[in-house]
Amino acid sequence: MAGLNSKERMAIPFVHMPLNPGEKRIHNFDEVPIGYTAEQAMQEARRCIQCKKPGCIGGCPVGINIPAFLELIEEGKFAEAAKKIRETNFLPAACGRVCPQDKQCQAVCVVGKKGDAVGIGNLERFAADWERTHGTFTAPVIPAPTGKRVAVIGSGPAGLTAAYELRMRGHEVVVFEAFHRGGGVMVYGIPRFRLPLEIIDEDIKMLENMGVQFVYDMIIGNVLSLDDLLVNEKFDALFIGTGAGLPKMLGIPGENSNGVYSANEYLTRIYLMQASHFPRYTTPIEQGKRVGVIGAGNTAMDTLRTAKRLGSEVTCYYRRTRDEAPARTEEVEHAEQEFLNWKWLHNPVEIIADANNNVKAIKCEKMKLSDPDSSGRRKPVGTGEFVTDEIDTIVFSLGCDVNPIIPATDKEIRINKWGIVMVDKDTNMTTKEKVFAGGDVVTGGSTVILAMGQAKTAALNMHKYLMGEIKWDISKISTDPNASGIVWEGKNK
Amino acid sequence: MTEKIESIIRNIRIDNETETARALEAAARLTGLNDAEKKELAAGVAALFYHDLHGKTGLIRLANQAEEVIATLGTAVLPFLIDEAIQADSESAAHFGRVIARGKGAAMKPVLEAINNHRGDDYAMMTLIATISYFKDPAALEAVPEILVASKSKNERLRAEALYAIGRLARNLGSDQFDNTLRLKMFDTCFEALKDKHSLARRNAVASLGKIAEKGMLTPDQERKVREKFNGFLGLDGANNWDNAYIVRHQAHQFFKFLKEEGKGQSRYHQTFRILEKRELCPDTYYYSIEAPLIARKLVAGQFIIIRPNEHGERIPLSIAGWDAEKGTINVIIMSAGRTSREINMMNVGDRLADVVGPLGQHSHVKKHDGVCVVIGGGYGTGAVLPTARALKKAGNKVYGIVGARNEKLLIMEDELKQACDEVLVTTNDGTKGIQGFVTHAMEAILKRGEKISHVLAIGPVPMMMAVANMTKPLGIETFVSLNAIMVDGTGMCGACRVSVGGKTKFACFHGPDFNGHEVDFDQLMKRQKMFVAKEKLALEAMGK
Repeated sequence: MAGLNSKERMAIPFVHMPLNPGEKRIHNFDEVPIGYTAEQAMQEARRCIQCKKPGCIGGCPVGINIPAFLELIEEGKFAEAAKKIRETNFLPAACGRVCPQDKQCQAVCVVGKKGDAVGIGNLERFAADWERTHGTFTAPVIPAPTGKRVAVIGSGPAGLTAAYELRMRGHEVVVFEAFHRGGGVMVYGIPRFRLPLEIIDEDIKMLENMGVQFVYDMIIGNVLSLDDLLVNEKFDALFIGTGAGLPKMLGIPGENSNGVYSANEYLTRIYLMQASHFPRYTTPIEQGKRVGVIGAGNTAMDTLRTAKRLGSEVTCYYRRTRDEAPARTEEVEHAEQEFLNWKWLHNPVEIIADANNNVKAIKCEKMKLSDPDSSGRRKPVGTGEFVTDEIDTIVFSLGCDVNPIIPATDKEIRINKWGIVMVDKDTNMTTKEKVFAGGDVVTGGSTVILAMGQAKTAALNMHKYLMGEIKWDISKISTDPNASGIVWEGKNK
Repeated sequence: MTEKIESIIRNIRIDNETETARALEAAARLTGLNDAEKKELAAGVAALFYHDLHGKTGLIRLANQAEEVIATLGTAVLPFLIDEAIQADSESAAHFGRVIARGKGAAMKPVLEAINNHRGDDYAMMTLIATISYFKDPAALEAVPEILVASKSKNERLRAEALYAIGRLARNLGSDQFDNTLRLKMFDTCFEALKDKHSLARRNAVASLGKIAEKGMLTPDQERKVREKFNGFLGLDGANNWDNAYIVRHQAHQFFKFLKEEGKGQSRYHQTFRILEKRELCPDTYYYSIEAPLIARKLVAGQFIIIRPNEHGERIPLSIAGWDAEKGTINVIIMSAGRTSREINMMNVGDRLADVVGPLGQHSHVKKHDGVCVVIGGGYGTGAVLPTARALKKAGNKVYGIVGARNEKLLIMEDELKQACDEVLVTTNDGTKGIQGFVTHAMEAILKRGEKISHVLAIGPVPMMMAVANMTKPLGIETFVSLNAIMVDGTGMCGACRVSVGGKTKFACFHGPDFNGHEVDFDQLMKRQKMFVAKEKLALEAMGK
């Protein structure tokens, strides 16, 4: 096959990911995409034209050598392909499933300029799954101990990545987690039909085998302050990866009615606390016949599809249109196959409750999109026309602000007015010496892969700092409370 | 025959796994070899042991297969194997050692002879000691004295190897094979070595003690000593001088689970959450003292914790009735209401809660006031006002306590409150004790005496807190109430605990739990607490099933 030229490669049609059919999957929590077969994977990998200047690598927040691993898949060297990915990304099974590739690597794929981009995410997932099911994974060799101890706060994508990168450089790593199990948002926020639990657990087990210590039920800030960690516990550096865990609400009347949840609460009850197995698991969830979800991001799609699986009639309310929906394209497509109702251009203005404070209706203003402004954005504007839908349960999925506990307990950590932890944009140093931060805590609510990219940068700089290669320098961190957090724009833009 | 052997050996090549596997199978089928031929075959097959097999699963499988083939050749090849083992690097020697150990009793004699012949050669001794430890046959007991001698060697590497061998033998042979004298010697040797200045020796002594414990070969007294040592290594004894070598800490962490008092020792940050004390305060209401040293060290009056009693359990928020930072305990009062509280109340002293998370929430408002401070506890809330009562007293205030209950039998924590306050007033709805009526009547009694009340804290059922707030509002008395909203995570992540305070949405877990009672929307709070009533009933019904 190596003999194919670019033109022949580009002529190969995109291999669609096989899916569990919508009418079946809405009755279970099984994973929706089934995964490529070996033949399908090799066929899809053949579509990569191995550009001389691959844009996809720059389009990946952790810089995976994408053409190289695609070539290995094309040659049928699946274990080697997985190994290649692992050189820069240690959570390939998770990223292949939840990364917004359509906004990253696949968005800049040359093949995608004419037709479908190469299914990089699908292939990443394939390689990772192949490695897992065939047991070809070999634990990385840890270099000699450096004698340095680091604490990682939070065990979500950022925390796990930082722990991995630091351990791989010979530092002793302790991960502190507030919940009773590791994985962070990948456990409490991402549904099982998108990311099975065993994938996360295997990655955590791997870190444990590498000698990373996990401490659960530990609220850093309250139980041990940052100073406790640095002074009494003799950690040489800290990494804050506590994520964005403070749900946003709309501030409309009636939002404290019974039956109104934040997406965080709703998903946490179901996935972390297993309320879908109530009463075998004793955490309850109260969900009526008609469920409304407000928002159209990835979490909103997760919420919609979860609610559907629990047997309700589910409607999405969003004040813009499908084109502006911030969710990953594939998520919207999958959601659309699952018999949901869509109310685009609906802006909730009031939640109406009965005498017992239970939700009974939602009132929305119909919106329309304005003409594009100077930046080309079309804003939703009210039409003055209102509709009221009867409804039993409402889930707000509007994103999250940064969890306030650590900044509240350590005043040396500077935050902006949105609560985002301010860091040096190159080194991820915070305003407190020896403390680094990464993930949603420095970007605001974002994605798994961006958090991982952030954590990787932070970990590399922590290593340099620990080894005395760079000095503590925070002169570039803004003191302006209106300054934004870190914004990742893709490396070739 | 020689030709056959040669052709087999020729096909043993690491660059061709299929050929090699086939050759090994052929070798296993050979019969009627004389001693010289056996040795020739062993030498050829053993070539596999010398390759760097790290991470190469196919080759490792082949090497294991090769071990089996050589083992079938019997005693004739033993001298050759022992010689090779002594000269080999330690990884290759492990393969030879395992083959030799398969020779069982017959193989022990030549090994002991080799030890005699190589005294003073520490490198050879290391290999031979390791070889002994691979034996799964009681014949190995004969060699234990040699291991014990080696464990005192001046050579730190040999010492470490011998210490490791003790544990491996314990694991391979099992507890039945060792008599008490031998057990004591093994224990003393390893325990003494915990003081070794060489970290590898310490690590291996830890591993061996762990394995001996795993096989149930420690007396309770020995076990206690080991636990203390491991605690020290991990820094759990509070002495703050844990072992500075990671390998030692890691090993102690790994083996702690085999010491009967499990729990502790997972790391210096591990808390057992064990119930140390339980007593009934009144029907269905219990007082607990729970081991949670890290939390106890940091608690401040007003904060709360979240408990998840078991793996299938719910996370429920609980007020704190006190703590002892020195003993590392926290005290809570739990009244059976729903499924989770009932499940906790079925637990007993010695049981462990799955998770205790805290301290959570903000501190209560403590400062010196002009007038008196009044703390009011209703029902299970009586325990929750204790810490703040103590703190207000400590800040130099005159503190009155009010306890309310339906009847005398349901009154709890009166004595404890008396110790924390200048005076305690009791109210019962039926008049069986103290003032007949509600806690507000006791407030009136204090006001009637002409005393100025500057600060009130009320914790208990929502109607009680609401009644207190309604009474103090026109009088302009600062009043705080502690809101027990429904929660999941308790850190601000989920927003289940939303309450309306002064027209704004607040999170009880992060902004509270104490709020200005005059601003709280109690009506909404009461209704929100009923959100899962139907589900709670189902959960309770499912409890017996």
